[in-house]
Amino acid sequence: MSMSNSAWRALHYSAKRRAFQTTPYRCFSCATRVQNKPDNNRMTHFGFTNVPESEKETRVGAVFSSVAASYDRMNDLMSLGIHRLWKDHFVRSLNPGSCLPALTADKPGWNILDIAGGTGDIAFRMLDHATHINHDMETRVTISDINADMLAEGRKRSLDTPYYNSKRLDFVEANAEHMPHIPDASVDLYTVVFGIRNFTDKQAALNEAFRVLKPGGVFACMEFSKVENPVLDTIYKNWNFSAIPLIGQVVAGDRDSYQYLVESIERFPSQEEFRGMIQKAGFMIPGQGFENLTGGIAAIHKGIKPINKA
Amino acid sequence: MAHLARTLTRRVTPSLTLLRHTPTLGTTVSLTRKPQTQAQQTLTPRRTYHSTLHPRLPDHEYTNSQTVILTAALNHVPTHGFTAESLALGARDAGFLDVSVQLLPRAEFDLILFYLASRRGILRAKVEEGGLFRRIATEKGKDVFELSVEERVRGLLLERLRMNHEIKHSWQDALAQMSLLSNIPLSLGELHALASDILTLAGDESVDASWYTRRLAVSAIYASAEVVMTRDPTADLAETEEFVDRRFEDRKAIADKLIGIGQYAGFGWNTAVGLGRSWGLKI
Repeated sequence: MSMSNSAWRALHYSAKRRAFQTTPYRCFSCATRVQNKPDNNRMTHFGFTNVPESEKETRVGAVFSSVAASYDRMNDLMSLGIHRLWKDHFVRSLNPGSCLPALTADKPGWNILDIAGGTGDIAFRMLDHATHINHDMETRVTISDINADMLAEGRKRSLDTPYYNSKRLDFVEANAEHMPHIPDASVDLYTVVFGIRNFTDKQAALNEAFRVLKPGGVFACMEFSKVENPVLDTIYKNWNFSAIPLIGQVVAGDRDSYQYLVESIERFPSQEEFRGMIQKAGFMIPGQGFENLTGGIAAIHKGIKPINKA
Repeated sequence: MAHLARTLTRRVTPSLTLLRHTPTLGTTVSLTRKPQTQAQQTLTPRRTYHSTLHPRLPDHEYTNSQTVILTAALNHVPTHGFTAESLALGARDAGFLDVSVQLLPRAEFDLILFYLASRRGILRAKVEEGGLFRRIATEKGKDVFELSVEERVRGLLLERLRMNHEIKHSWQDALAQMSLLSNIPLSLGELHALASDILTLAGDESVDASWYTRRLAVSAIYASAEVVMTRDPTADLAETEEFVDRRFEDRKAIADKLIGIGQYAGFGWNTAVGLGRSWGLKI
C-alpha cells in the first residue's frame, strides 16, 4: 500500500507541475503550432470558472494526470459502483463485433475508435464482447486519449488482458478535435465515454468524428446529463457538490480535481441540446436520439453517418 | 352479433369512404394544427382511429434509412428469422455497415414491428386496388357488392394470415419477443391498428359501443389464429382457416346468446313493471 501510495504521489506531483508548464517544444512541430495558435481572447469554461481556450486543455490535462492512478477506485466510490452497470449496458447495446462469422471473409471485423478511453475501460469491454459473444477475433480498438498518464494507466491494465501486444489493441495520444493521423471514412464505431464534456470545442470534435467515420458508421457517446425528476435531482446535486469533492480529498488527496469534475458535469448541455449538436455535425439520429440511464444522471447518445447515394 | 347481420350490402367501395373529405373542416384543421419539428413528430402519439376528416397516417414512422435497412432485412427473415443476423445482413444489402443497425433502437423488435406495419400496408393496398374483395366474392360466387361486412372481415383476416406463410416457422420467436413486458404496449397497439384497419376496410361504420367490441373480437380472433398458424402443417393454411371459421361461429353464438339474454331481461323487467302497476304501485 505504501509503495503504491508513493508511486501515486510521484505521479500526482508531476501532474501538478505540468499545470504550470506551457506546451513542451516539439521538433518539426513549430510551424503547425504557430499556424494553429488559438485566439487567446476567446474564453471557455473550466468548471464554473472561465479560462482562455488555450488554457483549458492544459488544465484538464492536469486534472486527469492527477486522477489517473485512482481513477477506478474513485469512480466506484463516486457512483456507488453504478458506472460499471452503465458501461456494461453501453457496450451491450452497441453489440460490437460482427455476428456473422461465416460471412466475415470479405469484411474483417470492425474498426473501433475509443476516444478519451485512456484507461481502457470501454475498449476491453468491447473486445471481450466481440470475442466472447460474437466470436469475432478481428475487431480491433484504437484507444485515443489526449492525456499520456491515462494512456499509461490503460497500457498497464492491458497487461492483464489477452489483447496486450496484439494487433487488436492500439494506443494513440491525440487531441480528438484534430486527428490528422486518422484517414477519412475509416472507422466503423466511434465511442466517447465520459470524455466529451472535457473537450474545449465539442462541436469540432463532433465534426472530426463525422469525418473519420465510414458512411453508415456510428457515433456513440455516454456522458453525464440532466436529471429529469426534481426529487432525484436534488439528491444527486447534493451528492455531487458535497460528497464527491470530500471523497476526492480523503481517498485521492485532491479536492480541486474532483470539484472540477462535478462542475464540468453541471456545465454539460442537456440531452436535447447535445442531440442538436450531434445533428448539426451531420449525423442521423435514431429514434429519440438518447437513452437516459438512472433517471438521466447519464445518457447514451447515438448518431449515424448517412450514406451518400450516388 | 346481430348488427353484423343487419348491415346491408354497401354500394360504396371502402376506399372511397377513406378518401371522403369535407374541405371546409379539413382546412380549419390544418390551420389550427401547429407546426411540428421532426423530433416532436416522432414523440407524438398516433391517432388510434380512422378519421374521414384527416388524411390517413403512414403505416409506420421509420425514416428512409431505417426503412431501407428493414426492407432489406425482411428478405432474410425466412432463412434467419427475426434475429440480429437478419438485421446485419439487411444493413449490408442496403449498403450500410454491420454497426448501422444502431439506427434501430429496438433492434429485432423493430424488425417485427416493421413487418407487422408493412404487411398491414400491403393488405390495405390489396383492398384499395380493388382486387381482394373481387377475388373473395368470386370464391363465394357472389357479386362484390353482395358481400356482407362479416364476410369481408373474414376474408381480410385470412388474407393477412396467409401473408405470414413464409415466416410461419419463426413467428413463435416473434410472438415471444412481442410478449416481453417492455414490448407489450407497442404489440397491442399494432394489433389494434390491424383490427381497426380490417374493420374499416370491410366497411364497418359502427359508432356505438360495438366499435370497441368488434375491434376486440377481431383482435382476439386474429391473435389466437396466429398461434394456430405457427403449428399448422398444411401448405395452404387450411387448418387455420377452419379455426378462424369456428371462431367466427363462436362469436356469432356468443353475440346471439348475449342478445337473447338482453331480450329476456328486458321482457322480464317489463312484466315486473306491468305487474307492479296492476297492483297499484306508482312506477
